[in-house]
Amino acid sequence: MERRERLTALAAELEERFSAWGRDPEPWPDALFDELALRAFELQFEHVPVYREYCRRRGADPASVGGWRSIPPVPTAAFREVELTVAAPGPDDLVFRTSGTTRGGRRRGTHRVTRPDLYRAALRPPFARFVLGGAPAVAAAGARGGGRPARGGGGTGTEPARPFRIGSLVTPFEAAPDSSLSFMCGDVLGAFGASGSRHLAGEGGPDAGAALAFAEGCAADGVAACLLATTLGLDAWLRELEADEASVRLPAGSVIMDTGGAKGREGLEREDVLRRARAVLGIPPDRVVNELGMTELLSQRYGRGAGQPLLEGPPWLRTRVLDPGTLEPVTEGEPGVLCHVDLANAGSAVAVLTEDLGRMRGGGLEWVGRSPGAPPRGCSLATAELLEARGAGG
Amino acid sequence: MKGVPWHLPGLPESEARGSEAGRTAAGASFRAPALSREDAGAVADEVRAAALEARASLPAARVIEAVAAAAGRLADPSDPAGEEAASVLSEDLGWPAALAEETLAGMGRSWTEDALGRVVQRELGGTAVLEGWTGGGGALPGRRRRASGPPLLFVVHAGNVPGVAVTAAIRGLLVRSGVLSRAAGSEPGLLAGFARALTAEEPALGRSLATTWWPADAGEAAWEVWVKRSGKVVVYGGEEAVRGVRARVPGHTDLVAYGPRVGVAVALPDAAPGHAAAALAGDVCAYEQQGCVSPRLAYAVGRDPLELGRRLSEALEEEVGRLPRPEPDDATAVAIRSARAEAEFAGLAGRSVHVLGGEDLSWTVVVGGEDPLLTLGLPRLVRVHGAGSVEELGRTLAPLEGRIQTVGYAGRRGLPALADLAARLGACRIAPLGEVAWPPADWLHDGRPQLLPLLRWTEWE
Repeated sequence: MERRERLTALAAELEERFSAWGRDPEPWPDALFDELALRAFELQFEHVPVYREYCRRRGADPASVGGWRSIPPVPTAAFREVELTVAAPGPDDLVFRTSGTTRGGRRRGTHRVTRPDLYRAALRPPFARFVLGGAPAVAAAGARGGGRPARGGGGTGTEPARPFRIGSLVTPFEAAPDSSLSFMCGDVLGAFGASGSRHLAGEGGPDAGAALAFAEGCAADGVAACLLATTLGLDAWLRELEADEASVRLPAGSVIMDTGGAKGREGLEREDVLRRARAVLGIPPDRVVNELGMTELLSQRYGRGAGQPLLEGPPWLRTRVLDPGTLEPVTEGEPGVLCHVDLANAGSAVAVLTEDLGRMRGGGLEWVGRSPGAPPRGCSLATAELLEARGAGG
Repeated sequence: MKGVPWHLPGLPESEARGSEAGRTAAGASFRAPALSREDAGAVADEVRAAALEARASLPAARVIEAVAAAAGRLADPSDPAGEEAASVLSEDLGWPAALAEETLAGMGRSWTEDALGRVVQRELGGTAVLEGWTGGGGALPGRRRRASGPPLLFVVHAGNVPGVAVTAAIRGLLVRSGVLSRAAGSEPGLLAGFARALTAEEPALGRSLATTWWPADAGEAAWEVWVKRSGKVVVYGGEEAVRGVRARVPGHTDLVAYGPRVGVAVALPDAAPGHAAAALAGDVCAYEQQGCVSPRLAYAVGRDPLELGRRLSEALEEEVGRLPRPEPDDATAVAIRSARAEAEFAGLAGRSVHVLGGEDLSWTVVVGGEDPLLTLGLPRLVRVHGAGSVEELGRTLAPLEGRIQTVGYAGRRGLPALADLAARLGACRIAPLGEVAWPPADWLHDGRPQLLPLLRWTEWE
């Protein structure tokens, strides 16, 4: 079978299984996850020469890799250097880029998605379950979605009930076509949003006035709201409302999904954001869902409530916590670097070694934060200072 | 952490005060007294009085002798003070004992009586100018001069290489100042150990030195009082730290700033590859690439950079056997892996980049890459590039003008041109590889004398 056909066959099976989980969210047996992960690995080993050589240098090939834990993970840094795709690039590909904010002026990472429908199939059921509470039936990948209209993609799911009016404070995909978050927000808005759902941000970021009008509309109509925002954007909007002494009591059942986290951002604590959400919008902390996603992964995890919530995800995303020094698994409760195996990445890199730190706690995953890079010490010139010097001198 | 990380003459009950909580570079927690305005004033009074008393009662030669004796104990692993110093460094920084001892021994070579005497001799022509009027004839007919540091000198450290705090305090004591020191939280204990050893050696000098730590977002009372009472302020640290201190110092107070710099290594065309690599490996490991002298970028001039990289890899592997590296913290390990992955995938994608290094992250050599100035300041990670000639190297390094601490070299062919290039770039020093990490005691730190910037001169016409 040609590689595109093999990928298509695997992707079709995955889409079906993802949708089935949306209807019946049962855990997957280890054997099933192993089988699908190894099929994806084999495809990638065969058809991504750079990855094949990377594996060979580590003595790994499809014959020697016996389970998902042994698949050599691609470090996120690799996405800054190469495009990893099983299929040849095509006109319908989505090309996402990392923000590039964590490494100064260094190159941005690129994730080319050659199977947009697989991405849609992977993002919708977990969003419905972990953010919307599983209320609506899950829209199949072919159903009305945001971002870019889905092509083909047979919809086997039922048209969802739409109890939530979704408002997105994230820059729309049209204005940020390389943002996976923008794509995702647009997609779930289209797939799950009731009448009146809309984007509340433009190229310049959230539109505070539009967002307030949206919230007031939901309150007046008695329709539960679902707000999508970065933690930073949500905080900025809530602060603005607070400063204007504005408040809205959103209808019971309303929910907020924030993403990006607050840890490490100067002057921003997620607890404060949750407090403001309750004070200004009447949303209790257990109705604020934190999303952990990244450009290099097409599946997401979600955690509900205050503190560092335990993150849940779909059964096609498994995560290990590894010692950053040795890449051996750490024990429960110990912090380490996160290594994901995400079947939705069947077309690119199924195993990804991140620069995120986290720990397992009570069977769930706790995100500790993005590794800040080596802490600056000593009187050696720091990277940022060097870049500055080069800017001035060169 | 081991030992009390402060020494505060004039504040005998300092342990009973409220306290600030800190963490060292290795994450060891410690506490230091929270100084009120009155506390900071009492310490400044005591240190100033002790310094003036020492000035009146102790000849400069005795100061050199006492300071060298106390500092020498820190560098002597067979002395209890040296044992404690190595243990403090090891625990604060998470360094293996052998690395801590080697660092103290290396620093100790510039703390001997002979070395300190040379600094005074080179910069001041001897101790006489510190003790009374000199001149009146010869080069200064009809005029006399004397000099001393201000009664109080405030020295601020923000995350420096180990031992620098001791060196900085010694410089202040040599010019007969009382020294108030705000230590770096990453390694607060060594200077306090020196102060205790100095107190045992010469109590008046021990009382002329105070050191403690407070968090970046606290200590307002101490900042205000110590800056106001000090005749000069000295800061060692990164760009942000220097800017922060500069903003606190009034216009009429001198600020002497030692800011961040970078070291580069150059293998000239005739350098013996094995020797150059071994010498460079020693310089790389000395401060775990955290020092301003640390060579993070290496250039092979007129020769194959990959060959230098391979030789350097072998030398680093050997060096690791001799001097085990500290266990990297999570963030550092992640950053090393990221740097390696980026380079490896660039190479896999067909660009001319090679990554050399074992799985245990002990050391990393990256050869080639698009950006010949990219450097990350990660422990035992060196980037090696080629340069066709010294002239080409000059064009490459031009953006770093004024930011280079040391140019290390191996080989002789083209050395005068390299020395001229170093001077054009404003490098403070050009030194043979192997000696880069350990400048001579009387070196021009950041390109200037060590004692002269601390002095006030009076001329009698």
